Amino acid sequence: MLNRSLRWFEACAAFVEFLCAVCRGLLTGPRYLHETLRVMDLLIRRCLIPVGLAVAPVGAVISLQGAGLFRMFGAESLLSSLLATAIFREYSPALASVMVAAQAGSSIAARIGTMKVRGQIDALAVMSVDPIRYVVVPGLIACVIVTPLLSVLTTLLGLLSGWFFAVPVMGVDHGSFLANLYAQVSLVDLWVGLGKCMAFGTAVGLIAGFLGLRTSGGAAGVGKAANDTVTMTIVLILVADYFVSMALLRLGV
Amino acid sequence: MAEQAPAITLERVCKSFGPNRVLHEVSLVLPAGKILVMLGPSGTGKSVLLRCLVGLMKPDSGRIFIEGEDITALDERRSADRDKLFALRRKFGMLFQDGALFDDMCVGDNVAFPLRQHEKMSETEIAQRVKEYLDAVGLKDVQRKMPAELSGGMRKRVAFARAIALQPRIVLCDEPSSGLDPVMSATLDDLILDLHRRYNMTFVVISHDTAEARTIASHIGLLYKGVLQTFGTKEQVLRSNGEAINQFFDRSTKGPIQVL
Repeated sequence: MLNRSLRWFEACAAFVEFLCAVCRGLLTGPRYLHETLRVMDLLIRRCLIPVGLAVAPVGAVISLQGAGLFRMFGAESLLSSLLATAIFREYSPALASVMVAAQAGSSIAARIGTMKVRGQIDALAVMSVDPIRYVVVPGLIACVIVTPLLSVLTTLLGLLSGWFFAVPVMGVDHGSFLANLYAQVSLVDLWVGLGKCMAFGTAVGLIAGFLGLRTSGGAAGVGKAANDTVTMTIVLILVADYFVSMALLRLGV
Repeated sequence: MAEQAPAITLERVCKSFGPNRVLHEVSLVLPAGKILVMLGPSGTGKSVLLRCLVGLMKPDSGRIFIEGEDITALDERRSADRDKLFALRRKFGMLFQDGALFDDMCVGDNVAFPLRQHEKMSETEIAQRVKEYLDAVGLKDVQRKMPAELSGGMRKRVAFARAIALQPRIVLCDEPSSGLDPVMSATLDDLILDLHRRYNMTFVVISHDTAEARTIASHIGLLYKGVLQTFGTKEQVLRSNGEAINQFFDRSTKGPIQVL
């Protein structure tokens, strides 16, 4: 028990130290722009299809379930308001972040972990290249930029699939669908959504980098680092998302 | 002219992992421009010694001087020290045991990596230098290949090319001959001797290959159970008739070095 608490404290202290090193890496050079762009390209290619596949059914389900329900009250023209609120405020940021955690977080943690167990992180350090600056910071910046970009994509896809199942499939009027689409959402929702994505992207990049660098014990260790990153970030994202939504509702945003 | 500082000086270096004593009061002075072959059975702290030399690990006690500068006094967490440590590491090239090549870069980019990081060279000059070093380690037409497509021996040679790309003053080699066929191993030995002649580089070579020690060493050390049993010039050590060194050179199971 004592051992476990000591390990927990050691991990917390190491994380604080890691955070300081990352901040230093962000604020001071050298910067590895080429590496950052390479990771961003990799993440976008890895995440695009899974994110699209995950969010399209959500819009479809809301329309399919909602159309019948709203029709009972003669309010099917308001279906698009529900769809837009749900997608803009909740599904799009949360799903984009969860998918980034699953795809990008695991691949970053696995890459850094593999580099660690194969001595490549040490090789970087011996070549006077700071591993935090070279492998962690580019991954972090990539996550912070890619997550909101994917969220924009998920929003568009969600609305499109919602429209498809509401208008051509369930027979909701196209004109009223469009007219009510933005009735309940404002620009603030868009910014809050994008802000949440950036915050979640930061969490994914930091946790993946931290756990990746702490990898030990060969291939099994790499698997564990990737696995832990996904579990920790998804739980963190969903819990944080709940609190942010509650706070915003209280504030009346 | 002031006398040149020794390349490496170790003063009573100790390192333990929990109850495991890995290095115990290791002291030695290696003059610049020499080739030290550090022999010893597996798991006796040879690799830990190398990692302490470049500051990847900190000894529990004792000091290590690289060309007169104390590397053990530098704390990587302090930014001023980190800059000094990185400057000091520029003196080193290191060949890791399994190469430690970057998996997501082709061979050419791996060798070019330190040049791109630290030298202001045009891509044409870099390409020329990369080709020169890959030729030197006996590899042709591999620049576009990925490390995963190479055999273990080839990977090691690429890693050697990368380690010497910046023409460092001190080259550390962690078991360069393991996994290589005898001819390639001899080629790598020739290369070490050639570089040593041309650039007066200092080499620290970790090995269990006594033939390699006879061929290239100017100094030989024998590390067993964390204690430096023998250290001196090749002639001194071979003449010393020490039990442990004789056992090692005679490939005998009888002697102070025990497997268990």
